[in-house]
Amino acid sequence: MADVDLKPDGRDDRRGRGGRNNRKRRRDDEDDQADRRGSQRRRRADDEAPRRTYEEPPFAKLRRLLLNIASSTKLPQDEAIEIAKCFADNYDDEDLRNDFFDIFVQLIIEQPFKIPFVAAVAFYANDVKPDITVQALTRVADRTQKALDEGQWKEFKLLLRFFACLQGLFQEDGIFGLLGQLFDTVVDMQSASEQYDVVGIELIKIILLTLPYAIVSSGTRFHPQAQTLLESTGVVASKMVPMEGLIQVYDSESEEKPIAYHSIIGLLQTQLAKESESGWALLCIPRFDPNALRIVKEEEEESLPTVGPTHALPSFTISSPVNPGPTPLFPEAYFSLFAEQGIETVPKLTDIAASLIRDAIVDTVDQLDCNRDVVAKYLVDLDCYWSLDTFAKRGTQFDKFRDATGDKVLWKSEDMIVDAIFSQLFKLPAPEHKLVYYHALIMQCCKVAPAAIAPSLGRAIRILYNSLHAMDLELGYRFLDWFSHHLSNFEFRWRWNEWVEDLPLSNLTPKKAMIIAALDKEIRLSFAKRIRSTIPEEMHYLIPERLDEDNSPDFKYSNADTPFSEEGQILHAKIRKRATAEEVQETIDVIHKKAEQAGITDVFVPSTDALVTAICRIGVKSLSHVLSCIERNKERLLAIAGASEVARRQIVASVVDYWKDHPGVAVRIINILLNYTVLAPLTVVQWVFGDHMGAGEALTESWVYEMVSNTVGKVTTRIRQIASVRLQKGLPQEQVDLVEATLTKERDSARELFKYIEDAVRGFAEGSADSLLEKESSGELSTEDGQMIRAWGKRWHAVVLRQAQVEESVVGEQAVEARLRLLASQPDGGPEPMEVQNGNWKLEQNDGDDAML
Amino acid sequence: MPAVRTVSTVERLDKPSSYASSKQQNRNRDDDEGRRERTPEPEDKLKDASTLYVGNLSFYTTEEQIHELFSKCGEIKRLVMGLDRFQKTPCGFCFVEYYTHQDALDCMKYIGGTKLDERVIRTDLDEGFAEGRQYGRGKSGGQVRDEYRDQYDPGRGGWGRAYGEEYGDDHY
Repeated sequence: MADVDLKPDGRDDRRGRGGRNNRKRRRDDEDDQADRRGSQRRRRADDEAPRRTYEEPPFAKLRRLLLNIASSTKLPQDEAIEIAKCFADNYDDEDLRNDFFDIFVQLIIEQPFKIPFVAAVAFYANDVKPDITVQALTRVADRTQKALDEGQWKEFKLLLRFFACLQGLFQEDGIFGLLGQLFDTVVDMQSASEQYDVVGIELIKIILLTLPYAIVSSGTRFHPQAQTLLESTGVVASKMVPMEGLIQVYDSESEEKPIAYHSIIGLLQTQLAKESESGWALLCIPRFDPNALRIVKEEEEESLPTVGPTHALPSFTISSPVNPGPTPLFPEAYFSLFAEQGIETVPKLTDIAASLIRDAIVDTVDQLDCNRDVVAKYLVDLDCYWSLDTFAKRGTQFDKFRDATGDKVLWKSEDMIVDAIFSQLFKLPAPEHKLVYYHALIMQCCKVAPAAIAPSLGRAIRILYNSLHAMDLELGYRFLDWFSHHLSNFEFRWRWNEWVEDLPLSNLTPKKAMIIAALDKEIRLSFAKRIRSTIPEEMHYLIPERLDEDNSPDFKYSNADTPFSEEGQILHAKIRKRATAEEVQETIDVIHKKAEQAGITDVFVPSTDALVTAICRIGVKSLSHVLSCIERNKERLLAIAGASEVARRQIVASVVDYWKDHPGVAVRIINILLNYTVLAPLTVVQWVFGDHMGAGEALTESWVYEMVSNTVGKVTTRIRQIASVRLQKGLPQEQVDLVEATLTKERDSARELFKYIEDAVRGFAEGSADSLLEKESSGELSTEDGQMIRAWGKRWHAVVLRQAQVEESVVGEQAVEARLRLLASQPDGGPEPMEVQNGNWKLEQNDGDDAML
Repeated sequence: MPAVRTVSTVERLDKPSSYASSKQQNRNRDDDEGRRERTPEPEDKLKDASTLYVGNLSFYTTEEQIHELFSKCGEIKRLVMGLDRFQKTPCGFCFVEYYTHQDALDCMKYIGGTKLDERVIRTDLDEGFAEGRQYGRGKSGGQVRDEYRDQYDPGRGGWGRAYGEEYGDDHY
């Protein structure tokens, strides 16, 4: 994948001036292991110059040149001119023309870094063969209109950027006319309904991100228009919408945190205002010489330098109401780990470059999730796609950064990459793709440029670790999940020694809780002995030897001191032998009788414990074993679940107790039981908050968070599936009624679930929970620990509130009705149904039937 | 998640491997020497596939480990461990079935080529598990690749077991 070795020798580095020759392309750590599929796989033609000696067919050549624009040592301007000329020479070939324009449009959408360069091709083509430019404008406009109609905002934004880069070619106001029109749409929407707040925010974001490119490509001519537009967007951009209180990475009240909350549009607005004061320098955006071709022609002594014609900006129709698009929109926070860390390795928050480069990185990442290998390559090549003096030399070490950059403001591209990927990993309520994509992308970046990326990553981890106390709990969990997964791909190497000093801390501190949870997660992906070998000896006590793989958990009934030990063993033997229901019932009856004599209130508790513990024991060998054992005893388990609430909770208790040293397994088994509807979601959270919480210590256990969030996730996933069924066009009336009824029912139970959790955690957050108060007054819990638990309670509470509100905004009555109205207002084809889940939800679905096997 | 997009400027990682198509080509060649046109069958079979073949696992990798990693792409509906035909012990591959096609595609994109148990694992879209396919087809019961392997691999039983009659991928 490395193209370093493919450059013809002796050609000037386009960026090479003075002593920084070749800095763009030379990387000591670029070993050619990037192609993960190994050497037997053919290398992609796109990524390398042809080694063939015969003449390359015109389309192949054009395609190669276009796809690789700005990625080589050639000056991008020359490349754009070469492509324009080559295309003009072959323009008569209709197939070639169509194929080329297809890639042209696609490149804009898929590879945002290259938009200014793609636009340059259209710009120079205007001097060579204006028809190319006319066609390019038309084709891109068609796609833009489609994106606008469908509410595909990201595509719309990128396509608009293409036009902005050609502002110099347009008659009259060009793109500024359209931006003004978009702004008017936002104003109309704001006065119409609050529901459109988020769409308005999205449109303002698009306007503000388009503006800089238009200014750069058109000289000073449009500064007044830009100024006017910026003044009008100010009101909307600075307005806080209620949801913003819930999407903050760090607690707004906490002081020690890497970054305060800024909305993306709020930041853009202030950055642009600042940029306008300095005469719109916009230094990071790459520039092209508009007269490049015209001068060349004069030298060639043609009669007159041909200057291409100007064009009208294609016209667009903005429908009313605007289609909000297939994905639910939320306001967005700007997140950066490095922006306020003293040394300026990434742009300051006040610098427009922070937003422009970030936006392009994030879009590259999200648009090309189908191939993380190329994304990693493009990211590592980040400095190729921006102005020359934007970044420091690749891989400049952090501790030498200041000396290396001297007086110039240059940024560390690795920090910007890591910052951008983390901004997605930590995006609330959720990033565009599954979290594991961002994990895999970080891994890939580390493989492509280990010496450059890994140190930035290390600094990121330290910053995150040190601010865990202020971090949103859900994001703390994401951090943990990423961290352990990442290490599992790099021999579990981490400088644990740095954290040894935190070992004496109370287990209730976020740092210590994180260490404990990270080791557990690592063990789940590997095994205890292996993980023990990767940590310093001082930490070995956290992975006791009983966790080693050959030691399966003890069966408590083997111990004669355990109450009902005899019956427990008999039951175990019977279930193992697959005895009949009657035979099993016999033993259960014995337990009930004895329990009654012993004065136990609910006799189902000891019998359920014996049964479930036996099932766990028999299924100890693997998840498949426990699954088939549950399957065989499903009827009995269902009966118990129906018997009493205490018995239901005992099922959870027994599973967790049996697997207490391997909570990950317990979490999976609970998941299986939820799928079989042996357990109801509410039962699981009732056990967590009613039985397991203690004085709130359990709030610190990451597996508890995992279990609760899995359970809540099941409920919300199901509702979203039902809602997407409801939002199908042309659903027959009887189906509508049925779906509506199900939706109402499920909504109610989800609200009940959220309410239950919210009440429970609020008790700890406010310090009013009885168990907490008792332990504090008895002195069992120190004041310090008590405060810690309150803080955990608060962080839990924030997560629950957000999740509940996000669901309301997606599947609540108002949200669904708004979607239905939109569906009705768009007759032919209409918008796609809201993409809430891609599951195949069936109306008569019974969870147990297609449960995990 | 964006609607299905035709990405054309880069190669996708969630395409079926050459395995299915080469299988199809072989079949065509056997069935009908003269016929040259491609049948759309393999693509069709995989267009809704929610199952993945997972290869290059260590013999010691457990179901729990696989669950831990693969459930990052969605809930797992079924996991079938590949077993040595004779010893009924894991022999280094498995089938992971998700509830949705999208989850399987995401798994190709985000998990294929990463490590599990410190080995780079391979994922391939699969038309679906059928009884019998959980067993290795090598002469001595494991996967064919372990018969011929001339490199020592402690995670897969050491040296190759024997040299048999045919080369090839054997998970089908």
